[in-house]
Amino acid sequence: MSSAVPMLEVKGLAKRFPPRSGQAESPWILADLSFHVADQEFLTMVGPSGAGKSTLLNIIAQVDGANEGKIFFRGELIETANGSALHPGWNCQFGYVTQDDNLLPWRTMIDNVTLPLKLQGRFDAAARKRVDELLHATHLTGFERYYPHELSGGMRKRASLIRTLAYDPPIILMDEPFSAVDAQTRTQLQQDLLRLWNLGRKTIVFVTHDIAEAIALGDRVLVLSKSPAKIVADHRIDIKRPRDLGNLYKLEGFGDIFESVRRDLQ
Amino acid sequence: MTLAATGPWSGVYTKRSLVPVGRLAVGIALIVVWQLGTNTMGREWLPSPLDTLARIWQLAASGELARDTLVTFGEAAAGLILGGAAGAVLPFILRLSPRLMTALDPLISAAFGMPKLALAPLFILWFGIGITTKVVFVASIVFFLLFYNGLAGILSIDPRLVAMLRVAGASEWVITREIVWNTTKPFLFSGLKIALPRALSGAVVGEFIAADAGLGWYIQNARSLNDTTGVLAGAVIVTVLVMVVNAILQRVQARSLAWRPIARDMTV
Amino acid sequence: MNPRVIVDRLVVFVLVIAGWQLCSSYFGTIWFSSPWRVLDRFIDELRSGDLFFQAAYTLKAALYGSLLGGIPAALLPFALRRRPVAGAILDPYFVGGYGVPKLALAPLFILWFGVDLEPKVALVASIVSFLVFFSTTAGVNAVNSQYVNVARVFGATERDIARHIVWPGAIPYAFAGFRIAAPYAIGAAVVGELISSNRGLGFLIQSGATDFDTTLVFVSLTTLTMIVIVVNLLVGRCERWLLRWRPAQRGLTSKVIGA
Ligand SMILES: Nc1ncnc2c1ncn2[C@@H]1O[C@H](COP(=O)(O)OP(=O)(O)O)[C@@H](O)[C@H]1O
Ligand SMILES: [Mg+2]
Repeated sequence: MSSAVPMLEVKGLAKRFPPRSGQAESPWILADLSFHVADQEFLTMVGPSGAGKSTLLNIIAQVDGANEGKIFFRGELIETANGSALHPGWNCQFGYVTQDDNLLPWRTMIDNVTLPLKLQGRFDAAARKRVDELLHATHLTGFERYYPHELSGGMRKRASLIRTLAYDPPIILMDEPFSAVDAQTRTQLQQDLLRLWNLGRKTIVFVTHDIAEAIALGDRVLVLSKSPAKIVADHRIDIKRPRDLGNLYKLEGFGDIFESVRRDLQ
Repeated sequence: MTLAATGPWSGVYTKRSLVPVGRLAVGIALIVVWQLGTNTMGREWLPSPLDTLARIWQLAASGELARDTLVTFGEAAAGLILGGAAGAVLPFILRLSPRLMTALDPLISAAFGMPKLALAPLFILWFGIGITTKVVFVASIVFFLLFYNGLAGILSIDPRLVAMLRVAGASEWVITREIVWNTTKPFLFSGLKIALPRALSGAVVGEFIAADAGLGWYIQNARSLNDTTGVLAGAVIVTVLVMVVNAILQRVQARSLAWRPIARDMTV
Repeated sequence: MNPRVIVDRLVVFVLVIAGWQLCSSYFGTIWFSSPWRVLDRFIDELRSGDLFFQAAYTLKAALYGSLLGGIPAALLPFALRRRPVAGAILDPYFVGGYGVPKLALAPLFILWFGVDLEPKVALVASIVSFLVFFSTTAGVNAVNSQYVNVARVFGATERDIARHIVWPGAIPYAFAGFRIAAPYAIGAAVVGELISSNRGLGFLIQSGATDFDTTLVFVSLTTLTMIVIVVNLLVGRCERWLLRWRPAQRGLTSKVIGA
């Protein structure tokens, strides 16, 4: 029994949406879901499309409520009830990078990236410097004054990523952030993400339906079943970092883990 | 050389030297047809272009044009401000209570169906034939235009953007200012763009029915005197004013919505 | 539907009626007729058939004007499709004509065509034609040029393209034009009647107002509103039935333009 309290702990989470009109019961999307994430851990969760991955992250981010279960953040119980008692982002402790970049179309790229910092009243010289570093690391320097519709898909993705990294929340939730870009851009984005994560290790919960992505990025892979989502396997990934994502199959042990995750998913 | 960038045929580049010449020719042809119409139908039925122009000149010189224009513009402006402000603000308030919004839905649909122009006689009965009536009349037209457009804007808000901003620590006020306002603004602008000419013609129609001053009154008065030249001159003046207002609005809108990929209106 | 929504809506309905009644008691029925009087009179007017007669007159003006103005306006963009230079030359005149406040021309039409149906038909036609024209033009321009190119590769003649690609692609837009125009058509007919007429719902409103008969004004306004709502519904149904091969489109935006 380790003495350290986990960064995030999810216990017995269950969720169903309100029944639609003309429907008696709606199915459970999540049922008795439990797991925990350690500090500075890069946790990936892989599950089939429609398993309830987005639903789970919405609940953790407090964008949506759950029907049952508890969530602890550093040992502190946070609200999961349905209703208006929710605090989205739990006072900026949880960053959330969604599948869509969700950049505000009427703000320039830089204004989008700095918006959370400004909202939180933390846009000082240090933050400015940090944003500059992030822009540089993601090759976005020079595009600050562009509106989102003037940027490529990959650039928008990177901007939405550093928008969350810039305000430095202790936990970052990621919901298939790279699923809507082409394969080449995706590898580049994954590499960028790992580099950024290496610069200042944070706790990340990264959800995907792509087995290779889950293994390539994570310290640990949780495998989710079809809805109602349950955790069917928990793999520790011991592949050495830094990892060369251009040649996944050359990474030591990658093939074996890939095979067993694939079997778990069936 | 420029082709009308707004028109549906803006992509035409072949034989383009023909276009300006053709436009000029069509313009001249229209005036010639008008003159021919005068010659065949008689100037009592269709006054000639020159007669009409002379009448406009005469009105301008005597100061009548300025006076009547000012009255009509004043009514339109006051109605626009009153009705526009109320119509633009109401959707923002309704957004705060989805329950109220659903409850009011049938009422809103019914009000949508009512032709507001038909209210003019009622307003005249209530408020007399003075300026108040026209202001209220214009305000009722403008109110609904901005209200429906604002509501469409509110309904088109992307809930994902709202969730994202909440996670980043935004308060309800920031959400309203940042997302609700920015999403709704183009809709309100489209509403305003439709409302401006309607406000002017609304004031004119109100004056048709009962007034003692204004361009609509001038036209209606000329009609009752069988003064076709006066009616035509008045109609030309109103048309020119509406077009000038439209052109100005087009400029302003293009500047304030620069972030959008294409300059398109949010209504049909 | 959710029972709470039904209750909420009933509450709103009761509040509206109560507010109306309150206004009526406060200002007096001469200035503001009461709900019961309006209902009573409505039934009376229905029984006597007068309401039908006046409504039919207004609808006739709206319908004739829509057809007279709308049909040529729906065909013109097809004729202009193959004549881009002519289109470019005429474009500013179409845009200008669209901007003309047609209602301000009503007295002119009355002067020209008298006080019967003709001036209202002319007014309605002048409004409907531009709405339908611009809607159909948008449809003709939106026809996917890729389809046209593919068809050319297949050896289709210009006639075939017009018939099998442009026509079916643009027809929904023409219908949309008519749908949008419908409430304007009725509104314009009423304005024509308000200014000068001895028949129609507009005349009824005007004569009610001059006789201090607000009951009649309210009855006519209510009838008019109901007619517009029913016509909107019918035209929408008709459009959906004719275009049932298209995937459903929803959303308020297509409805909003204001009346
Ligand atoms: N707002 C909602 N109302 C009802 N059902 C929903 C809603 N959101 C998601 N669902 C259902 O929940 C299930 C899981 O969805 P989601 O969490 O988006 O899956 P994933 O992200 O794993 O692809 C799906 O079957 C979906 O239909
Ligand atoms: Mg998902």
